[in-house]
Amino acid sequence: MAFVSQSQRAPNESYTFASRPRPVENRSKYREPPSEQTHSNYGNIMYDRRVVRGNTYAQLIIPTTAQPDPVEAQRQQESRRRAIARKRAREQFISSTPEALQGRKHIDVQTELYLEELSDVIVATDVECQTDAFLDKPATPLFIPAKSGKDVETQIEEGELFDFDREVQPVLEVLVGKTIEQSLEEVMEEEELACLRAQQRAFEELRNNELAEVLRLQEQERRHSEEKGRRIAQQKEVLKKEKETAEKIAARAYTQQYLSDLLPAVFTSLRSHGYFYDPVEKDIENNFFPWLMAEVNNSLEKRYTARELLDTIIHDVTQKRLKMFKELETQ
Amino acid sequence: MAGYLIDPSRAPVAFGRRAVPQLFEELQQPEADRRLRALASLCDLMHDPERIYQTVNGAGFLEQLKVLFEDEDSSVRTKTCELLHLMTAHSIGRQALLSSSLLPSLSQLVDDSSSSCRRNVHRVLNRLTLLPAGADALLALVPKLMLKLRGEEDEEEEEEEVQVLLLSTLSSCSRLDALPALASDGVSLLGHKLSHRSPNIRREAAAVMMALSVCEDGKLKVCEESLLPVLVDLLHDEDIEVQANAAGVIMYTVIITTGKQQCLDLDVIPILLELVSKKEEEEEEKERKSRKALVMYSLRALTALAEAPDGRRLLLEQLPLLLRRSEAAEEDHDIRRDAQTAVRVINWRP
Repeated sequence: MAFVSQSQRAPNESYTFASRPRPVENRSKYREPPSEQTHSNYGNIMYDRRVVRGNTYAQLIIPTTAQPDPVEAQRQQESRRRAIARKRAREQFISSTPEALQGRKHIDVQTELYLEELSDVIVATDVECQTDAFLDKPATPLFIPAKSGKDVETQIEEGELFDFDREVQPVLEVLVGKTIEQSLEEVMEEEELACLRAQQRAFEELRNNELAEVLRLQEQERRHSEEKGRRIAQQKEVLKKEKETAEKIAARAYTQQYLSDLLPAVFTSLRSHGYFYDPVEKDIENNFFPWLMAEVNNSLEKRYTARELLDTIIHDVTQKRLKMFKELETQ
Repeated sequence: MAGYLIDPSRAPVAFGRRAVPQLFEELQQPEADRRLRALASLCDLMHDPERIYQTVNGAGFLEQLKVLFEDEDSSVRTKTCELLHLMTAHSIGRQALLSSSLLPSLSQLVDDSSSSCRRNVHRVLNRLTLLPAGADALLALVPKLMLKLRGEEDEEEEEEEVQVLLLSTLSSCSRLDALPALASDGVSLLGHKLSHRSPNIRREAAAVMMALSVCEDGKLKVCEESLLPVLVDLLHDEDIEVQANAAGVIMYTVIITTGKQQCLDLDVIPILLELVSKKEEEEEEKERKSRKALVMYSLRALTALAEAPDGRRLLLEQLPLLLRRSEAAEEDHDIRRDAQTAVRVINWRP
């Protein structure tokens, strides 16, 4: 009989259980006070009446005895009460089936829409199979794989076969000939260019040589002519200096001669101009004589004034006499 | 023939006279791929002088190339420049290039973004200078090329080739007229290049310097920038062409008095004498030619140095050496003449 273990489960805590595997003890149905765990009677599991045999999908059947054991019923009731008490202590609202009244008991009843027939008898069907009588195996058909790809066929026509060696000759001749012709041309070209360059180079060298000589001679000429020019200039300088010196000498001689005559002439002319004078004489001349002349002038002036006066008097007198005579005449 | 596209990178070529016109028509297609293939076939054809003649005289072919210069695809531009490069291998090609109006757009391409295109443009310019009229036309480009040279500071392999091409173009142009290069401060720029690690660049730089020092300003500049020690070092270089070119520069520079002074200070006479007197028996013809150039330039430099009193004094001691060279035993007529001139100058009395 299946012993359904009640596992006390706390709703908020997870339940764990672990124990070493041990064989189930051989215990009688009617529990006696638990004895110590005995490992001696192992027994073969195959012959253990506690192990369920057969299919397990139709296990839920009502046991044959409708009357439960009173001890069993009592024990169950007690555990139920404990569970209910616990539930009440923890949960607020619990709906549980009320207990059966006295003289009644609860029985499981199917309440689904479609009733299931519960029976001990397990539905079993028999299936059997039987091989047919052996027939001769027919010949396996030839395995032809499915056609894939294109069909191509070839056929050598009349006159297509040829001798390669004979036919290839002209082609080969042309190819080789053309290649050689091309390469000969290129080689000739390069040779021509090389010749040209060599000739040019030889010419250039000679030209350079001659050019160097020309330049050197040019330079030499230039130097020489410069030198000549310098020398000539130098000579000219010398000549000029000489000439200058000669001129200077001549000029000096002439001036000397000229100047030697100059001195007496100068003196005479100065003397004649009166630049050398006797101071007494000069003084007499400058001071005395003007005074003398002035005095002489004065006195002469006086005399003249007197004479003029006399003249005027005489003139007046004569005029008067004339006037008187005239008057006398007229009278 | 079964192979319509034997070589997928080349367009098919028509036969005979139709080849060139048909390929030029193909050049007008909108797809760059076909144009590239047509250009590749044209490049193959242009090795033949007759085809070049046909192209040059045909109607408007060169103008089509001008359109192609402005194409967006850089490989098309590169191939067009390569085509021009092949055409200028011939004199008629060069003349045609000069007389057409392609030069301005070509000089635009010098600043192109793709380096292979730039390299091909430089190749074209270099070939163009083989013709003196070409060098003349490129004189206007010299300042731009000098700028390019100044900008080429990276030292990679391809750039070295471009530098070498640039320098040789510049040297050809400067031989005609050194003034534009001198005006763009060429001497100091080239002085840097003289100490480059690659012998090609050194050789070309020395060649340009030689062309520049022909004129008076160049010589003065060389003395001012005190490049003479560098040049004297280059005389010890292993490459004989570098030596020859360096001797050429010295030869020009010692003509002016300042140059003479500086060289005598640097004690260059023994080096030059050593170069003159070295005689190698087994030599290839090309080496002999370069050696001849080296000996000639050294002799001329010695002649110029002998005009200074100090130089003359030193050289009077070494006179027998030069006399030996001026003997009739010397097979080379030019060297003999040079040695005789040198001896004459040394023995001159004022």
